[in-house]
Amino acid sequence: MQVRMSTLKIGEKAVIDSFPDNSQEGLRLLSLGILPGDEVEVTSKALFLGPLSLKHCKNTFFAIRRSHAKKILVRLIN
Amino acid sequence: MNSKVLLVGFPNSGKSSLFNILSGQRRKVTNYSGITVDAAQGDLLSNDQYENKVKIVDLPGMYNLVPTSIDEGVTLNSLLNLTNDVNYNLVALVIDLERFESSMSLCLALKDLIGDKLILIINKDDKKVITNDQRKLIEDATGLKTLTTSTKQSNVREIDRFIRDSIKEEVTITGKVTLSKECLEYIPDYKPIPQVSIEEDQKVVLDQINQYHIKAREIVEKIVRPDSKRVEVTRKLDKLLVHPLWGSIIFVIIFYLIFNSIYEWAGPLMDLVDSLVGQLGEWVSSVLPDGYLKSLIVDGVIAGVGGVIIFAPQIGILFFLLSLLEQSGYISRAAVLSDRVMSIFGLNGKAFLPYLSGFACSIPGIMAARTIPSKKERVATIMTIPMITCSARLPVYILLIGTFVPDEKVFGFLNAQALSFFFLYFLGSFFALFMALIFRLTYFKGETSSFFIDLPLYQRPRLRIAAGTALQKVKFFCKKAGTIILVLSIGIWFASTFPRLNPSEILNKDPEVVASLQLQNSLMGKIGKTIEPVLKPIGMDWKMGVGLLVAFGARELFVSTMGTVYALGEVDEESSTLRQRLKLEKDEVTGEPKFNLAVAWSILIFFVFSLQCTSTLAILRRELGNWKQPIFAFTYMGVLAWVGSYIAYNFLS
Repeated sequence: MQVRMSTLKIGEKAVIDSFPDNSQEGLRLLSLGILPGDEVEVTSKALFLGPLSLKHCKNTFFAIRRSHAKKILVRLIN
Repeated sequence: MNSKVLLVGFPNSGKSSLFNILSGQRRKVTNYSGITVDAAQGDLLSNDQYENKVKIVDLPGMYNLVPTSIDEGVTLNSLLNLTNDVNYNLVALVIDLERFESSMSLCLALKDLIGDKLILIINKDDKKVITNDQRKLIEDATGLKTLTTSTKQSNVREIDRFIRDSIKEEVTITGKVTLSKECLEYIPDYKPIPQVSIEEDQKVVLDQINQYHIKAREIVEKIVRPDSKRVEVTRKLDKLLVHPLWGSIIFVIIFYLIFNSIYEWAGPLMDLVDSLVGQLGEWVSSVLPDGYLKSLIVDGVIAGVGGVIIFAPQIGILFFLLSLLEQSGYISRAAVLSDRVMSIFGLNGKAFLPYLSGFACSIPGIMAARTIPSKKERVATIMTIPMITCSARLPVYILLIGTFVPDEKVFGFLNAQALSFFFLYFLGSFFALFMALIFRLTYFKGETSSFFIDLPLYQRPRLRIAAGTALQKVKFFCKKAGTIILVLSIGIWFASTFPRLNPSEILNKDPEVVASLQLQNSLMGKIGKTIEPVLKPIGMDWKMGVGLLVAFGARELFVSTMGTVYALGEVDEESSTLRQRLKLEKDEVTGEPKFNLAVAWSILIFFVFSLQCTSTLAILRRELGNWKQPIFAFTYMGVLAWVGSYIAYNFLS
């Protein structure tokens, strides 16, 4: 099922489907080494719609603002 | 023969340090991305020993071949040889082990562009060690010659030889690079060349980078294995430390403890330094004969510089604790937790640490702002940090609040003095963020605020590194601030000592009165009298004006200057006699007390906003790279201070 990254709940795992067209998100995430097809898991959501913290693949962690996460489509893994 | 070598790599990967040790130049090297914004050229130090004269070029950092800012564009410009007549023989790519996969991706893209006239220098291996076997694996996987080194403990000759031995004929660009239309504006000398194809669809461009990343990942997975134990530890710690509720509570506790320890631990150390300075002054007084020289050294140099040096322990402790936090990896979590609040003001979570440091002293705070990637956000942060209540304002607050705010309860349970302190801290912090918001909406508009941050794995902080950082900052503080303060103190001494009064004017007068008269007659006193019209509307007279002027050297000088002005000689903030004197000071014409609650608040508010610190101005100049913005900061804070004081004075009187 395809959803926005921002809607993931804590502990849910998903695969990044695609980056939005013509926006900074794609390039910025690529610079951090995060690619479409990678697995992510939400580890925390900060208070008052603050940033999302995620685990990426097996061994890295990162955080992004919810407004960026809204633009990124992911597929849920059961 | 002449050859040219380009140094390329990620921002903050150590290119400039490498450039400096190889060429003997001194380019600014910092631990912040984006310090190098244009190319610098230098000759290898070893050129006089060899036939081949090699020039190396230090280029701004880049993440991949698709530029997203002008500095990255400058690098691509050089790589593609777009500016006429500057060809090169070799590219040395500096690989950052902390961003190994992404560096490798850049490596593959470069190799496709220029072929094997590319060598790899693996930097920073003092933190993560790469074995010789791993180095060979990298060479096999990329087909490129590789050297591991750390610029901190490196053998210059080894790197020099490695570069020299790799130089061949001039590079011809054999590959192609696909760029999106938008990024062309970042390339200074762009012109259509066959090696560059322009793609309307950004997706194709991203896909190209993506492919390199996938290949890079395959290589990296063969070479380094993830440390699953550390990953597990990080996961468990993060469950608590970035937990929406507990994480925020722990965040507040950690930073409260840091502040507490700065005040608690620094106190005895400050007293120690203070008494040492005092003893030095006494010793010099006893050795030197009375006269100008003695006065200059004791009242000018020792009192002036000593008054500032006492803040060195605070700087040391702050940086020691922050280094522990930085090493552990917690600071990026703190950035995540504070990002929401910061975003309201057009900033992002990375501005949290600089503001926090600003409570001890603006100088480390301004330096800490280097971690903010967006230039506009960084400048907006730097320009407002001086309004955060730093520790140098404390002596002034203590003196004035302690003297003029009654020690009584308000609203039944709050102490009026404590409430005043809190209000001043709040006022400074709020206006710092508020002004940052105004800047982001006007002068530093655009560049939508964004926040992407990698959360490194936690690691045990090393005390030795923290102590080293603290010592280095203390040294820097003593040296830089010391030299400026020294010059300034001497200047202030001269300005408040000369011109002298005629001996006939001071005949048979009390020494304290003579000191006061002398000050009135001095250059400083005359300047004070000149600016008095500006000070009248905010309730101050020329004596307070002199205090404000002197405080421009360093705020804490206000207290000791007030002591001198009110003819009591050296008086510190705990001196009840200065307090009594302030209360008893009467207006010559009306006979009303000079100081009252309104005047005291007028001065306090002035101190909240005004940028009265030459050291801060000097650091602003250094960090911003121009005089325009520091002068602007000085001006707008001065205007805020005056207006604030005006409102406070008229409201209360």
